[in-house]
Amino acid sequence: MTTAASTGNTKKTARGDSSPRPARVSALRRSWDKYWYAWAMVTPVAVVITVLVLYPLGYGFYQSLTNANEANVATTIGAFHRPATYDFVGLDNYWHVLSGADGDFYPRLVWTVLWTVSCVVLQVGLGMALAVLLNREMRLRGFYRAMLILPWAVPSFIGVFAWRLMLNSQYGVFNEVITAFGLPAQNWLGTPLAQKVAVVMVNVWIGIPFNMVALLGGLQSIPKELYEAAEMDGASPWQRFVNVTLPGLKPVSNTVILLGCIWTFNMFNVIYLLLGNNTTGDTDILVTFAFHKAFNGISDYAGAATYGIIILALLLAFSTFYRRNTLKSEQA
Amino acid sequence: MTAATHEPGATPPAAPARPLPATPRGRKVRGRQERAPWASVALHCTLILATVIAAFPVVWILFISLGPKNAWQEPGQVLSHLSLHNYSDVLAHSDLAQWFLNTVIVAGGTTALGVFLASTAGYAVSRMKFPGSRQLMWTFLVTQMFPSIVLIVPLYLLMSELHLLDNYLGLILAYATTAVPFCAWMMKGYFDTIPKEIDEAGRVDGLTPIGTFWRLIVPLAKPGLAVTAFYSFLTAWGEVAYATQFMQSDHYTLAVGIRTFAQDQRPDWAWTSATAIIITIPAALVFMLVQRSLVSGLTAGGTKS
Amino acid sequence: MRRGISIAAAVTVVALTASACGGSDDDSSSKPKDPKDVSGTITYWDTSDAATEAPTYKALVKQFEAKYPKIKVNFQSIPFTDVEQKFKSAAKSGKGAPDVVRTDVGLMAEYASLGYIAPLDGTAALKDTSDFAATPLNTAKYNGKTYGVPSVTDTLGLLYNKKLLKQAGIATPPATWDEFIADAKTIKQKTGAYGTYVNPDSYFLLPLLYSNGADMADPSAKKITISDAAAVKALTTAKQINDQASMKVDFANAYQNMQAAFKNGKVAMLIQGPWSVSDTLSGSAFKSDQANLGYAPVPAGAGGKAQAPTGGHNLAVYQGSGNLDASYLFTQFMTSTESQVAIAKGTGTLPTRQSAYTSEVTSDPKVAGFKAVLDKTARPRVALPQVGSLFTPLQQNYVKILQGDESVGKGLDATAKEFQKLLPGYSIG
Repeated sequence: MTTAASTGNTKKTARGDSSPRPARVSALRRSWDKYWYAWAMVTPVAVVITVLVLYPLGYGFYQSLTNANEANVATTIGAFHRPATYDFVGLDNYWHVLSGADGDFYPRLVWTVLWTVSCVVLQVGLGMALAVLLNREMRLRGFYRAMLILPWAVPSFIGVFAWRLMLNSQYGVFNEVITAFGLPAQNWLGTPLAQKVAVVMVNVWIGIPFNMVALLGGLQSIPKELYEAAEMDGASPWQRFVNVTLPGLKPVSNTVILLGCIWTFNMFNVIYLLLGNNTTGDTDILVTFAFHKAFNGISDYAGAATYGIIILALLLAFSTFYRRNTLKSEQA
Repeated sequence: MTAATHEPGATPPAAPARPLPATPRGRKVRGRQERAPWASVALHCTLILATVIAAFPVVWILFISLGPKNAWQEPGQVLSHLSLHNYSDVLAHSDLAQWFLNTVIVAGGTTALGVFLASTAGYAVSRMKFPGSRQLMWTFLVTQMFPSIVLIVPLYLLMSELHLLDNYLGLILAYATTAVPFCAWMMKGYFDTIPKEIDEAGRVDGLTPIGTFWRLIVPLAKPGLAVTAFYSFLTAWGEVAYATQFMQSDHYTLAVGIRTFAQDQRPDWAWTSATAIIITIPAALVFMLVQRSLVSGLTAGGTKS
Repeated sequence: MRRGISIAAAVTVVALTASACGGSDDDSSSKPKDPKDVSGTITYWDTSDAATEAPTYKALVKQFEAKYPKIKVNFQSIPFTDVEQKFKSAAKSGKGAPDVVRTDVGLMAEYASLGYIAPLDGTAALKDTSDFAATPLNTAKYNGKTYGVPSVTDTLGLLYNKKLLKQAGIATPPATWDEFIADAKTIKQKTGAYGTYVNPDSYFLLPLLYSNGADMADPSAKKITISDAAAVKALTTAKQINDQASMKVDFANAYQNMQAAFKNGKVAMLIQGPWSVSDTLSGSAFKSDQANLGYAPVPAGAGGKAQAPTGGHNLAVYQGSGNLDASYLFTQFMTSTESQVAIAKGTGTLPTRQSAYTSEVTSDPKVAGFKAVLDKTARPRVALPQVGSLFTPLQQNYVKILQGDESVGKGLDATAKEFQKLLPGYSIG
């Protein structure tokens, strides 16, 4: 699931290498002949992505270099005309944010990272535990599997609705359940700390199925011979898990972790919909914070776009670093 | 490492370090009958607990939706007042049927377009190492990283220029940009698991690459396609922000429609819970259709990292 | 990136030309036509509650179409939560915007300053303006022009459970915030019910601010006043109410929970608006005895004043409407006395025209109850375009103060600093 060129089998697939035909035509012509099928097949998706994602992205980058907001961009509506009065400010916005001068970025970043790490660790950890449990013959296996994947099929905003109803500290069923187990009732969506626990919990609930399914498939693709060999060597179940299962899962788990990090970092719905508006702002992650900039009151286009680009840059840097390290460890 | 080799029962038995006769049919020998009874009980208890946690929120919403108007405050009242009243109310007094139809169109379109775009792109990248393939895969990854919600205003302007506002196609295209990158990645991985000899055979028979793809490879890639379809469908079925911004009330999807009575401050839980169940049922049905393929489809993509 | 910029710029130009061509209709609006000759289709965005209120508005739209057969109205229900975002995107691009939009009075200054909505002075939309109550009409004004026509109005008042107060030996509802706290304690002691349930939404803080002589800012003096002594006094009281008089607040579900607690008799007094009353009357404490619900003005603060913000909705006309004449007529029709009477009867909300308070309308105890409150305490809010943005820092710090994470003084200072970022040229004082 990586960028194509980094994997091995390149030579065989390059079509036409063996064909005796290549006369003296220009390199361009040759590569056109060779690749036009491929290009034809990716053109639709390339066009759609370029127009609907890369163009707004470029536009956002441009805005991040200005001080544009809703009140100073050019507006002509009916009889109303207002010329653009915003300026090009270079990297000022980035400096303002990254130097900590806006006072919001670093607190939000710290929580965003903490949020991402807790969610991904729990999602992957619990997903793996469930996958290991399911990866054996037993009665009701199909039933368990179907039920455990179910939260994936529930649209996330509905899952969040359900949790919001359940976590209500005065009328919710969640407190009743935990007090029945002898645990103290909590004001789940009240204080910042409780809110943080609650959003992580809900996001983990939503995210486990995907991880479980991917890892279950990964487990099933580990050759049984490896386990047999380990058993012959007298390895304990734990040793077999550490020495056979984990390395065997690496290709899947690396991908799952990378995707999990990217998705969680930008997970908007859970935080925005679960907590509503009466918050201290401490539970905002970077993306919900940027959203408030973009939509509360007079929209701060430049500020929101700057946050968007910074989020992108952070994730790009992380992914590059992560891939480099995991590739190394996979090859080792 | 083809999708077909997946077999259950790859985990070793609980009894530690017992020498095992090397038989060619390890699967039978490691039959679960050998699990100690206490281990069996523990296993089932754990899975039952996990199942309860996974299903409970949905079951709870269903439960509340069957009760009276104030059921969310007094869940104890539900059992003595069971009725489908909320469902008939919401069907009679809102445009639910229209929203449902809109959502089916949009989700169906997204599924078809998503499967088409993701499989063609995935196949091209998997089989033909063409210039630009690497960049394309990176671009896919990057699209996952940018918080598109922040750029909804430029996107709105763009859609209005392209006459795609308040238009099924516009929403379908927007959803495709969300779903396709991941799906194309996954399909690429899936195609990698299909032996290249099949392509060679197709070419020997005189098929074009596109013919080979369509006639030989697609039928073999069904599990991967099923996951792609599921993922695209879900993306469209439950999305709120784009649909809210781009569509007018005749074209509302369910996710927007429900917000007319599930407002942040004062949700009408009776209507909301009933509608939530109505929204969840089709998604669960689609899930049931593809769930057998999910494991093999998703992972074939994942393993071939 | 140079390419990105030029493309962006090019598209912006295209966008502007397109909307410039599409939008303007100056000719038609300058010479008024006979209303009967106006024709075409207009789109109306309605934000009333889809389940309970929208049917009344839909029925009025039908009547309008019957009266002006040449005009067709496309009625659209927009979720109230999303309307601001949605309208702004649409208004900005010129595509997909409605001709007439029902707008919360708190958004008027913002829309007007951004050029999204049209000034209505001298158009057919504004008719018999002297009939409008002064405060709601005031909400429609920005920089001396009228940008909307008041449709419904509301304010916050003190709703109370008469039985519980009587049981606690309290003859009249509290007139000052100090009495409010003292009464709450008595009620808790004597009846077991809580005195109140604090709504941590910062809008519900406004009565406390106003009645102590505080406000968010003073546009005429270009001053941010949210951290002055009066505001500190107001927030100190708010914290006391939260700690001593209120049931424990569930911050994410505060609105629903306080409603549930009040209507079922677990809470005796509530700062609430008229929109909540029908829901309240459906609860076990009032269902069989609607007269058990008492209406009073919000308590008074240190200076002896009792004041509450004016809310409600105005109808505004989109500046870029392709059919301004029809939009004006529609706005006029929907805000006429007859329509307001119909809306009041259908939804229990309060009309903005004095002539709409017919005996039939005021026979509804909800309307009568709040009408008296409205006349006594309702006042306009600061008409700053940035007011929507100001509520965010105020909200966040208010929650921190209530939760005890920050002292009143520090919380308000932090709020004032955030305000300064949003209000260039303003000084804190």
